[in-house]
Amino acid sequence: MPSLELNDVGKAYGAVPVLDGVSLAMEGREFVAFLGPSGSGKSTLLRIIAGLETADRGEVWLEGRRIDMLPPGERGVAMVFQHYALYPHMTVFENMAFGLRNAGVLREEIAARVGEAARVLEIESQLEKKPGQLSGGQRQRVAIGRAIVKQPRLFLLDEPLSNLDAALRMRTRVELAQLRQRVDAAVIMVTHDQAEAMTLADRIVVMADRRIQQVGTPMDIYARPANSFVARFVGSPAMTLAPVTLLDGEGAHARVRLADGAEIQTRVPRGSLDPGAAHDIGLRPEHVHVVATDAATLTAKADLVERLGDRTFVYARLGGDLPITAEDAGDSRVRIGDTIGLRIDGAAAHLFAANGTAHHAEAAG
Amino acid sequence: MSAAAAPRLSPVALMLVILGAAIMAAPLLWTLLLSFKPNADLMRDSGTAFSAPYTLENYAAILQGSSLVRWLVNSLIVSLGTTIGVLILASLAGYGFARLDFPFRRTLFVFVLLGLAVPEQAVILPRHQLFAWLGLHNSYPGLILPGLVGPFGVFFMTQYFRAIPKELDEAAMLDGASRLTIFWKVLLPLTWPAQATLGVFTFLGSWNDYWWPLISATRSDRFTLTIGLASSQMNYAQTSGLGFLMAQAVFASVPILIVYVVFQKQIVRAMAGTAAR
Repeated sequence: MPSLELNDVGKAYGAVPVLDGVSLAMEGREFVAFLGPSGSGKSTLLRIIAGLETADRGEVWLEGRRIDMLPPGERGVAMVFQHYALYPHMTVFENMAFGLRNAGVLREEIAARVGEAARVLEIESQLEKKPGQLSGGQRQRVAIGRAIVKQPRLFLLDEPLSNLDAALRMRTRVELAQLRQRVDAAVIMVTHDQAEAMTLADRIVVMADRRIQQVGTPMDIYARPANSFVARFVGSPAMTLAPVTLLDGEGAHARVRLADGAEIQTRVPRGSLDPGAAHDIGLRPEHVHVVATDAATLTAKADLVERLGDRTFVYARLGGDLPITAEDAGDSRVRIGDTIGLRIDGAAAHLFAANGTAHHAEAAG
Repeated sequence: MSAAAAPRLSPVALMLVILGAAIMAAPLLWTLLLSFKPNADLMRDSGTAFSAPYTLENYAAILQGSSLVRWLVNSLIVSLGTTIGVLILASLAGYGFARLDFPFRRTLFVFVLLGLAVPEQAVILPRHQLFAWLGLHNSYPGLILPGLVGPFGVFFMTQYFRAIPKELDEAAMLDGASRLTIFWKVLLPLTWPAQATLGVFTFLGSWNDYWWPLISATRSDRFTLTIGLASSQMNYAQTSGLGFLMAQAVFASVPILIVYVVFQKQIVRAMAGTAAR
């Protein structure tokens, strides 16, 4: 039985649709990330699951029980808000105990649960403080603690790391991953940060334009994006998409030509493509290598060089002004304005039809 | 740290501030001195305020025989009743306008705001008539009820509730709290600064109100301080009881002084807020 099931959930604010027939099933104690740009509907979907918004249509089921008609407090879900939403006039203990008191949990049980959560989250010494006396990271932990003590069947995390600085974000990300091992519940996290989604989630739900674009494991999403939106949105730097012409030929796999005349042999099955239609080739930076110009498939002019230490990304322009991103070694000597040679790993290239549908390379062998 | 951050006044500005404070304080000081002078001395020359003898007999007279204590109690009942009522009603209405979704909410709120534009003079006669029909004149409800109709309080509390992040309501809803629990345990405690400001101003306004008590309270035992003191002034100011009158004024100022001292921070903050706007 799925832990959470969404059936054809739809929502509009007046005449503006924000969700259009979203369906999803989560299995067991899965950690699922809703990933998408602003306005994609991911936060609205989370709020519908929480009961903070009502869907115009569709159903929400949690562990075999339909919950979309229930008030938020009776759904068996707990939520960590983006801005924590701690009660400023209550102590940390009172914040964590508030939901339990409303549920009529006995005083001793409340003390035990709050104490245990505080111990796990290392905030035992903060229990008598007010949220205003805590750092951002500590507030985050209190917000998580408030959710944990309720022992929900489903945790909802609304951009939980977005208010933290870079160092704390990394640490909290690790803590969230550890926390997930400790709680017996499914987790949904909304984020627009793909690194968070990739590192934390078992599965990612990519959303855009009011719909689910793709559901899959992080590597599925990265390696086999369902369409050009997912291809561009997931991965940093983004995948290069460049228009190509399909070349006639006898081979099983498509051969394409870029606008500047360079030809690339892919491993995308020719039979899946419409020969007369326009296509884009999709290339991850790690499949475009900077090489000496005499050994290159094509040449480009470097616009920007991003040195990350262990590797270097070169943002360049092909003939016809097409942008392309390539990867080079950490000690790359490429400088802005240089003409560089590029070698493309065509076997890893994707092709996208004009409507965005992806065609992936066949596995080698 | 805060002292270091405070702007330093130039000597000229400091002198002006001291001069202004002296001008403001002088009549109060004079009133205080007069209140300790025997009435007979003041009959001869009120300039004797600055020289001995001084006496407590005027204050003793207040406690022994005058109606001042009665008027003081009346003022306290009316002002506290009005303040508590306004805080309850304005908080509930403010919460409703800020958080609840109900038909004609915007229209009703506009009506409330229109109430700010209606001067008391425009409604005083119908109100007098209405209260006469209801038999509320010369009663505490008659003195308290008009003060409860406070569009400013509703507007003020609505704005304050609106400024509280809705995420707190939502967190409480997920914590299984009812609407009433959210209002009572989550939001209302956060409005304490607004309650204090509104409460102080309502109390002061009610305490100092002159017009409506003058119309509604015609019996001496229902006079508030403002009306009582005014009636004393008409009787005695030009005659034998100047020291006694001043003692009454000082005595009557004590509660208001306490309010100012206790709620100094809220009053200054509210004034500063008004000035900033």
